[in-house]
Amino acid sequence: MPVDNVGAWLRRSIMELILFALCAILAFEAEGFFSVDNLLNVLRNVSMQGIIAFGMTMVIISGEIDLSVGSAVAFAGCLTAYLTQALAGLGFGLGLAVGLAMLGSVLTGLGIGALSGVIRVRFGVPTFITTLAWMTMLTGAAQLLTGGFPLTPFPEWYNFLGGGYLLGIPFPAIVFALVFVLTNFLMGYTTWGRSIYAVGGNAEAARLSGIEVGKIKIGVMATVAFLAALAGILQSAEIMSGAATTARGWELDVIAAVIIGGTSLMGGEGKIRGTLIGVVFLGILVNGMTLMNISEYWQHVVRGGLILSAVLINRANQ
Amino acid sequence: MSVYKLETRGLVKEYSGTVALDGVDIGFSAGEVHALIGKNGAGKSTLVKILAGSLVPTRGRIICDGELCELRSPQDAFERGIAMVYQELSLVPGLRVAENMLLGRMPKRRGWIDWAATYARAEKVLEELGVEIDARARVGDLGVAEQQIVEIAKAMSCDPAVLILDEPTSALARHETEHLFRLVRRLCERGVAVVYITHRLHELHQIADRVTVLRDGHHIKTVPMQETDIEEVVQMMFGEGVQRARPEDLQPGKTPLLEVKGLSRRGHFENIRFSLCEGEILGIAGMLGSGRTELLKGLFGADACDEGEIAVEGRSVVAPTPPQMKELGLAFTPENRKEEALIQAHSIRANMCLASMGRIAQGRYITRALEQAVVDEQVNRLQIKVADSEDPVSSLSGGNQQKVVLGNWLGNRPRVMLFDEPTRGVDVQAKEQIFQAMWDLSRDGIASIFVSTELEELIEVCHRILIMREGRIEEEVRPDLSVEELTLRCMGEVRDAG
Repeated sequence: MPVDNVGAWLRRSIMELILFALCAILAFEAEGFFSVDNLLNVLRNVSMQGIIAFGMTMVIISGEIDLSVGSAVAFAGCLTAYLTQALAGLGFGLGLAVGLAMLGSVLTGLGIGALSGVIRVRFGVPTFITTLAWMTMLTGAAQLLTGGFPLTPFPEWYNFLGGGYLLGIPFPAIVFALVFVLTNFLMGYTTWGRSIYAVGGNAEAARLSGIEVGKIKIGVMATVAFLAALAGILQSAEIMSGAATTARGWELDVIAAVIIGGTSLMGGEGKIRGTLIGVVFLGILVNGMTLMNISEYWQHVVRGGLILSAVLINRANQ
Repeated sequence: MSVYKLETRGLVKEYSGTVALDGVDIGFSAGEVHALIGKNGAGKSTLVKILAGSLVPTRGRIICDGELCELRSPQDAFERGIAMVYQELSLVPGLRVAENMLLGRMPKRRGWIDWAATYARAEKVLEELGVEIDARARVGDLGVAEQQIVEIAKAMSCDPAVLILDEPTSALARHETEHLFRLVRRLCERGVAVVYITHRLHELHQIADRVTVLRDGHHIKTVPMQETDIEEVVQMMFGEGVQRARPEDLQPGKTPLLEVKGLSRRGHFENIRFSLCEGEILGIAGMLGSGRTELLKGLFGADACDEGEIAVEGRSVVAPTPPQMKELGLAFTPENRKEEALIQAHSIRANMCLASMGRIAQGRYITRALEQAVVDEQVNRLQIKVADSEDPVSSLSGGNQQKVVLGNWLGNRPRVMLFDEPTRGVDVQAKEQIFQAMWDLSRDGIASIFVSTELEELIEVCHRILIMREGRIEEEVRPDLSVEELTLRCMGEVRDAG
């Protein structure tokens, strides 16, 4: 391999290399880091935010943003719990009630996302504003549904979705992996994915090339909202309740993971694979620092520093 | 002692090998409107940018008030009393007229802005210019013409001796233009030397005292306007150009591909009617702002029209959109490559498959093999100089970028191509290759509409030319007339029955 190819490869894989180095350090410095149990634990911890992060990557590549995903997680959990209770109260079997409630939550999420997209396309309101409004509204709505106290109508088996294992792997991690494979394929190998890059890269050029810019934007906004609702269901299954206070501030963690993964906030550039690295990176960092008994205050400082350095590294690489 | 207020001697400007200005000697007198005329690329902008200090000449001298001066920055020119009003407005729409006029130099008292003095100064300037614009009005609330006047008032507020106006009327309607002319006249009476660039030659008689014609960076002639006429000026602009001929085997077919009836878009174009046959290359000529670009965008569905009918191969299209027109076999290469046609940061490959995405996918699934085949086909066909199709498209020269835009659409097998200024910022060789591509398309029965500011290109390439003026198709000509005549017809200077 010629020297400049090695250089290019090194630059391209810089985040992977840093992640690898971090793992190596933690393997020696943090007791219990390098065990199967702990690594599976990390995987489960990152999976719910990770599921959303893949959708967020698509949104950011298309040149938009969604600030409401944290509230959407809480809202979806509460709505699922609320509907389950209501349907069970109407005489539906508990299993059927949970099923219908999940479906209702996911469709509601999808609808809310699509609506943000429609408002963007029809009225030209930036998604930053619309989703900021959703963030507040959905938090309020979740509290209205639960009346301020967690709802706990779920049957015992429901916990499997958030805390169960399949072949030794946490169930949310399996969903996380599936969403990764699916979105990676979408973005890399379909006309839809290619159009998302085009719209984010230059919306006017995309429009004049006969790409349906409006549909693309509505589509990505619906996708991330759908994934947030999905994560909300898994989350409610893990804690076995619908609680309005969960997932506070997730939007920032999710966006941070996307940015660390090298996606440009300006749109048009980014990779699902990069986001995978970003999500795992943040997860391992938090886990390692916790194992090393570093105070939570310092953890915040380090995470913030990481976001900034990652962006600077990506900038320098361009 | 020079008789001129401002004078250039042997001015030369070279850009990496190309000569933009080649030994230009011009004198500008106080109290005179001196018009600069020339085709695109003749060197007008380069010349005035040097005078305004924003470009430094390669060789040559600038003499101001009889003494040699070096203008190394706009600040230098400013201190010499040279002010320039650029074609693009540079006002802040959210601020008031007075704030815009005195931006960065507002009078202060004890560190705070002295608003009374600010308005008083602005009002004084406006009054001296005889302009009735409220100094307290928000600039964003004014019309384009008034904004243009504020721009001039802004330049005049520093009391310059030389005022350079770069196409100040390009965005103005007729009566607004007259208002502006009165203002310019008044400035002259006050002894200001006005340098006036315009593309609208019929303005010359109204406004210019002397006219200088530039061509390919050379100073052709400076004459008093009274001693010349527009025909002569046009001849000086074009020179003894050799008109190349279109290949003779190109014959348009009889089947109409595109039929347009009564197409109107309020404020842009009106009652457009024409039809385009198989293999035909139809030119649209017109001055800037005649509605050419808007018409193409309307045809492609990129802008909504208010009235009229478009039929593609006999099928009438209601409220067209770009995806729909693409489906029907139309293709559109926009005038601004950078902003409207290409995604600069993306690869050549990705840009080449924007419009033809359907052809690189089976269903919705893109395969690399299909994609590479489409890219390679266009790279070979258009002889695009590409080192690696993964390089960003921004790494290509203007000509090659334009070929990528063209290839992007050809990959989609269109029936009708709409070309908007395809040769802008393109080198001579690429230009010929683009014409060649149009002729090849014509041989395959594909029709083209070709819009260009370079009228000699239309005469060289097209079967038929429509002349647009102020949003209307005024006449249709065959491409056997001279560039001079076509130019005059575009300006509405020739109105015969023929």
